[in-house]
Amino acid sequence: MEAGAHAMNAGGSSVPGEQALTKLRGHQRAWEVFGTDALKMIPVLQAQLSAVTQETERAAAELMIHLRVLAASHQAGSSADRTESVSKSVVAMQFQDITRQKLEHVGQALALLSRHLHVLLKGPEYVGAQQELAAFVQFEEHYTMEEERRLHQATLAQDYGEPVPTSLSEEGQDSVTLF
Amino acid sequence: MGKTALVVDDSRTMRQMVAFTLTNAGFTVIEAEDGKDAVKKVAGGGKLDIVVTDLNMPEMDGITLIKELRKLASFKFTPILMLTTESAMEKKQEGKAAGATGWIVKPFNPEILLKTIAKVLPV
Repeated sequence: MEAGAHAMNAGGSSVPGEQALTKLRGHQRAWEVFGTDALKMIPVLQAQLSAVTQETERAAAELMIHLRVLAASHQAGSSADRTESVSKSVVAMQFQDITRQKLEHVGQALALLSRHLHVLLKGPEYVGAQQELAAFVQFEEHYTMEEERRLHQATLAQDYGEPVPTSLSEEGQDSVTLF
Repeated sequence: MGKTALVVDDSRTMRQMVAFTLTNAGFTVIEAEDGKDAVKKVAGGGKLDIVVTDLNMPEMDGITLIKELRKLASFKFTPILMLTTESAMEKKQEGKAAGATGWIVKPFNPEILLKTIAKVLPV
């Protein structure tokens, strides 16, 4: 009743009821944008978590292989095998640092989702809204690994269906750049 | 006399693995948990032969650390290697501009790390 009463003045200009409706529509659009972004982001986060699981499984399997070699070479007394196994164990052990970073980035994405939701709950007139929303869209900047960026892009691609290979490139000379 | 290395990484396990590799190769290793801690540790003025540092760390990152170290006369020619999961070309360029001697992408292979160090250490 009240909204109807305020809908239009004699000159046909905008009135409080119409302004309220415009504001509501704006808020609804903001929620729709959030929903679309969140729907895109959730499979990305799931894929990043799956990559962590694969990484830990791969590292554990590798460590088991090297432990067996170490045990066997200890009995046989092969020093070269032992050295190689220790070296490969050190490579495999680094899964902890890599998975820690990946999990931290998933945590950061969840924190951004949470902040985004809080912004929307505060309403469309919240001063920091644009800044907060932009931070969410630019989430990719948090990544520190090429494989995270690749996985992110692959998951967003429409034909994504299979897990993206997440194993790191073969360690070798191409991992070193001298300036 | 053995050589001394400064290993900077916010991950304790990574520091331990780099230290394990370098200690086995005859280095004396000093560990720091980020750039700020590293600057504090070199303030004593002891001689360091090489620095191996991570890129993304709290308090002070690896690029800032390199810039800080390069300001010191005693670190003008000290080899500084970045050891990081980051492999983006623009980051490498940033490292080079800051004064890094080289860039190694994690996970590192101990033999390759030692070979790289041997290449950059002054004869």
